[in-house]
Amino acid sequence: MMRRLAIGLAASIGLGLGTTCALPECSRPDYRMPECRVILENELARLRTPDGAEIRFQDPAATSAESWDARGLLAWRSTGVVHARVAGLGAFALSLRDVRPGLAVHVTNIDPRAQVAVHGAAGARTIAPRKGSLTREIELTAADASDVWIRGTTPCAPRFRLALTADIQTNPGQFRRILERLARDADEGEAQGEPLMGLLVAGDLSEWSRDEEFEHVESLGAQAVVPMATTAGNHDTFDRSRPFYSRRFGPGNHVFDLCDARVVLLDSGSGMLAASVEGRLPELLDRGDARHLLLGLHHPPYAALTGAGWTNEERAQWLLAEAALAGVDVIVTGHKHELRSYTDIDVGGARLWQIIVGTAGADQGLALPRYGYVRLTLGPEGRSACFVEVPPSGADEALRGGVPGLPACP
Amino acid sequence: MRPRWRSLDTIAPAVAFVGFVGGTPDPAFARPRPPATAASAPRVPAGGGPTQPRYRQCARGFRWWCCIPADETCTRSGPARLLLLSVGGLAVAGGVTSLFALGDSLGGDDPATLLLATGTVALAGAIAGAIAGRLGADRGAVPDRVRTETLGVTTGWGGTSVLDEHRPPSMLGHFAPTLRFSDGNSRLRLTGYVGGPLGRQTDVDPRPQVAMAASDRDGTAPTVRRQRGVWAGIGLDMAVALPYPVLSPRRSRFLGRAELRWKPDFHYRREFVEPGEHGERMAERAMLLPLTVGMRWHVSPRQRFTFYLGPRFDIVSIRGPGDAALRRGKAELGPMYAEVWYDIDIPLNSWPRIDGRPRRAVVNSQLSFAYIHSRFDGLGINFRAVVGFLGPAYVRWYIRIRPKHADVAVQATVGARIGGGFGLFGTVGLVLPDLRAKVRHGRFRR
Repeated sequence: MMRRLAIGLAASIGLGLGTTCALPECSRPDYRMPECRVILENELARLRTPDGAEIRFQDPAATSAESWDARGLLAWRSTGVVHARVAGLGAFALSLRDVRPGLAVHVTNIDPRAQVAVHGAAGARTIAPRKGSLTREIELTAADASDVWIRGTTPCAPRFRLALTADIQTNPGQFRRILERLARDADEGEAQGEPLMGLLVAGDLSEWSRDEEFEHVESLGAQAVVPMATTAGNHDTFDRSRPFYSRRFGPGNHVFDLCDARVVLLDSGSGMLAASVEGRLPELLDRGDARHLLLGLHHPPYAALTGAGWTNEERAQWLLAEAALAGVDVIVTGHKHELRSYTDIDVGGARLWQIIVGTAGADQGLALPRYGYVRLTLGPEGRSACFVEVPPSGADEALRGGVPGLPACP
Repeated sequence: MRPRWRSLDTIAPAVAFVGFVGGTPDPAFARPRPPATAASAPRVPAGGGPTQPRYRQCARGFRWWCCIPADETCTRSGPARLLLLSVGGLAVAGGVTSLFALGDSLGGDDPATLLLATGTVALAGAIAGAIAGRLGADRGAVPDRVRTETLGVTTGWGGTSVLDEHRPPSMLGHFAPTLRFSDGNSRLRLTGYVGGPLGRQTDVDPRPQVAMAASDRDGTAPTVRRQRGVWAGIGLDMAVALPYPVLSPRRSRFLGRAELRWKPDFHYRREFVEPGEHGERMAERAMLLPLTVGMRWHVSPRQRFTFYLGPRFDIVSIRGPGDAALRRGKAELGPMYAEVWYDIDIPLNSWPRIDGRPRRAVVNSQLSFAYIHSRFDGLGINFRAVVGFLGPAYVRWYIRIRPKHADVAVQATVGARIGGGFGLFGTVGLVLPDLRAKVRHGRFRR
């Protein structure tokens, strides 16, 4: 009897150990895990077409196509057409190798004013914009040769605006109203010499992580006057096997340089960052020559009493430490369906400014809703922010206005 | 969130919490109740005595309404658990209502999730307690029941299933000497611990482009992050028993003893991280819990419900790779801190031996389950899109072995932390006599 027990115990231990054999990260994909999404978003930033062309998103400063960077989403949508969605705002770059003439590349989510050019063997060829469109349709020709780059830049002004919001979830109708209000903001900004450069959505574009929800938000964004940079929230990433967010919007972890600002967006959809992203934080948060350094993510690393914290507060505090070391100017978050501004978070003696702007439409409870976006103005003298309230349908005036630290915009 | 086995690295901090922050919930009633004799056991309360209830339903056979047999003071555990169940249900309902009906705009998320978790533990405790009671746990207090070890060592399992990554096990040494007050029912305990991971944690960069670039590594992922650290903490745990019954015996419902508690704590983490090739940086993270207060309810002589609540302050100090000195941070208000425990005592050798010989040791055990509303270390519980609101849950099984007539007992624990997977841990320790016990009573208290 004892012998049988011993054999059974040994077999159980053996089986138990067998389940812990070391495998490469995400060998058994579970897209609720942030590291799996890191792998996916990098894989989706590179595409090999059926006819052998290799297309890659690149750091705009890159000159070599040997590697690539998760700065967008590439998809083969129909025969002969590559769909390239730029994840960030401002400059972008795509490298193309072994391309055959006739390949069409539709670059989406770029500023209508962007200057886009194809750099091939014969020199640069400018792609003319379509008025008001966030998409450029490019057809490669024999003159472009087989190895080309597509590069885009956006004209800058000394002062410019960024719109910040988060948490659309069950209310894309309200998000549509926000986009309509953005059109007015863009016109006003243009007139005042402060162009609106884009919209930053800090997660929770959907309620149930479903593709039709993402498709709807993407189509709304395509009708906007400015491009949209997004990252994922907890409502976007809780499907174990179907990473619809990544397939629709591309990377949740990405950086872009917009005029003299560096913007870093991180995927905190699981209430924490991927360890590999944490390991790259000094590189991602390196402001270089940028005057402004912005960090956007869904979960506030400083939760205070909101209850909207991280799955692991140790990681949140480490992010705050890295932000303090890097001198981050503004941290933009959502998750909490409210508007908050914490202007004086002391981390190692540095003062951090965190904005929570979960006001893109998600349910806010019994009190009067406060929908809208934060207008962040960046200029040589620094940064200022105010709240643009976009009342829900049926309300013709602001219901609640701003909060301390984020007054209502004039 | 990490893959299931990777989350095991979180168990070491978890150990710190279970062992010290939450601790073994420990009542002020250290003095064992005198074992009841058949003559003294009030199986059917007759009323009239100062500690007897005035209810007489027991005489008609409502056993669950009765006083616990073999206890010197009446505790009507059935009604007590019914009350706990009701309070738990109300707390869950209140939490859910606050979260989903009142919503974010009224700013009640943190108390609401706390209320929800507290109510869940109360509900689970009342149900588990009722089941245990039916199985025989509704008896008199267990002499020499499980309490926090005076000296102990706790180990958390390490390990990861990710190639090239490393999660070391952890080890903590801890102490918890207890000072008994002269009333015999109240006490002050000093708690502390020091330890950390037994090695360096490493993470890899799984991006396909960097794995392919490192051709000499045959496609494996390069290391992107290394971390090591030291953890320490110190605190007090003071328990003051309320008189029982609080009201006059005539008015009391005899629903169990209660204690008031104060548990100021300080937790400290000194962590060193090397992100890629960017130089080592160090962070000191501290959590201050100066005003954590609570109460314990002895739902039955062998079952206890414990609740703590208090404000939390966090301090983050940092030293970058180029810094000569640490940059000190200031205390920032953090989320609320809370603990909820339910304990069930289970004596393991209270019955006589088959051969009739006396037992050489007293062996008691305790099942505890808990919720801690803090994610200062490790992962909290997530469920679908409910991410970042809840802390972890714990399940622990304690065993205490005390040789007959010995002043020192040995105690062991195995447990699991539930949050982002399971983290397993184990503790062994010694239970020494309480301080001042000998002075007052002429013998060591156990």
